[in-house]
Amino acid sequence: MKTGEIRIRDAGVSYRLYREKVSTLKEAVVNRFRHLRSVEVFWALRRISLDIQPGEAIALVGHNGSGKSTLLKTIAGVLEPTEGQVLVQGRISPMIELGAGFDGELSGRDNIFLNGALFGFSRKQMERKFDRIVAFSELADFIDMPIKNYSSGMYARLGFAIAQDVEPDVLIVDEVLAVGDERFQEKCKARIRDFRAAGVTFCFVSHSFEAAKELCPRAAVLHHGRLAFDGPVDQGWERYRELERGPAPGPQIEAG
Amino acid sequence: MTEVAERAVPAIATSRTRRSAIADLFHYRQLVAMLVVRELKVRYKRSLLGMLWTMLNPLLLMAVYTVVFATIMRSPQRNFALFLLSGLLPWLFFSTAILQGLTSILTNQELIRKVRLPQAVFPLSVVGSNLVNFALSLFPLFLLMAVVRQRFTPALLFLPAGIFVLALFTSGVTLLFSTFTVFFRDVRHLTEVLLQMLLYLSPVLYDQQLLGERSEWWFRAFNLFLRLNPLTYLLPLFRDPVYYGRLPSLPVLAIASLESALMLAVGFLVFHRLAPRHVHYL
Repeated sequence: MKTGEIRIRDAGVSYRLYREKVSTLKEAVVNRFRHLRSVEVFWALRRISLDIQPGEAIALVGHNGSGKSTLLKTIAGVLEPTEGQVLVQGRISPMIELGAGFDGELSGRDNIFLNGALFGFSRKQMERKFDRIVAFSELADFIDMPIKNYSSGMYARLGFAIAQDVEPDVLIVDEVLAVGDERFQEKCKARIRDFRAAGVTFCFVSHSFEAAKELCPRAAVLHHGRLAFDGPVDQGWERYRELERGPAPGPQIEAG
Repeated sequence: MTEVAERAVPAIATSRTRRSAIADLFHYRQLVAMLVVRELKVRYKRSLLGMLWTMLNPLLLMAVYTVVFATIMRSPQRNFALFLLSGLLPWLFFSTAILQGLTSILTNQELIRKVRLPQAVFPLSVVGSNLVNFALSLFPLFLLMAVVRQRFTPALLFLPAGIFVLALFTSGVTLLFSTFTVFFRDVRHLTEVLLQMLLYLSPVLYDQQLLGERSEWWFRAFNLFLRLNPLTYLLPLFRDPVYYGRLPSLPVLAIASLESALMLAVGFLVFHRLAPRHVHYL
């Protein structure tokens, strides 16, 4: 496999839905572990196969509950597929939620190092990135302040600034561009274009056609956990609209 | 060529082998260190006495137990306060690490849902921060030793090794219990009770040799339990150098090392096996 390649083969993720939610031993014993038998398996994703080449940009599209987030989490390695294979080669920068792992009690400076460590970077490596991250975030004046005192915009800026500097081979972005002011959003988009130009593989989840079209030539449409379409973004969007309206209507008979 | 080195990250595949799980954990060792520092920073922030609390806590406990045992029950032990402290310090490390560590997956669930990382870093960092506290509590211990004119023998040099073995055992138990807690939340309450009982069923406040011999069945049952209790072999690693001024006996050290290695292996394997399912239960 090449660096930056994503290979998904017949992947499926199932959740067990227990009719009776059991989270204590007493309940389990009282029910004589019945909950284990009355389990319903819900497939959030089923038989997904996708090949994403290094440097490609793909938009993942689908209505709420279509399985987009589950697919993204499987690519990011947070979830393991129940069946099939998900292989990702190289470093992943999951911008699924900016600032995941921030500790409000710690200063911005400490959080940069903590977040770097969460991505698997050493302290030394983060020291080399530190100035760049602070410069990108434009938070130099606040960097020693506990981040619980940050505004939500500042929080997101710091989060993006760290995530953009982890030298990813695969970049996963989940609608995070909706945060921050317009000027900072443009800065983020410009940075993502830089990544694209540098050959970073890019997975993007968005509900906005404009944003997807701007960044990705290819789209994959998910519908009830299945892959409903994989191809050019314009056609993908048509398919998405169609699915959103409900099952395709039968042939219309023109009165005349 | 630093860029190449920085990118040397194991590929994320669905079928991770056991060895790569350990390599993965090793790759994140600095995260463990950082989580330890964070825990200590957050814990001691805005508390006036800060780290002094860590040292004060076992001393206060020791004072209470000394009063109870030495005056009311007339315990024959020389330097009884020191005897107690040399059992209480490792016990407090063991029990506090487990109780704090078993909820660590739950308290870090936001992160586990969003970032891929070896989840074992969370329970292990709790053990680590308690290890720092344990080390800090050696200062009041040495102070007390000086005050009661206990001899400082070369056997004290064994302490780091003894603490290390105890830390391995504690890590294994903490890993095991932290993953169980994800599936059954009341493991915590159960553990609280069990630890309360275990305190009296382990040679913390007494020594096995001091119990003597009795022929009643309950005493023999108690003695048998003591023989099977892993702590019976772990606690002397600390008490022997501190209180008796001698090295632990070789059989005790061998059993302690063996059971610790075994406990860690079992804890890690079970944790690694169940960790992918955590996210469904959080």
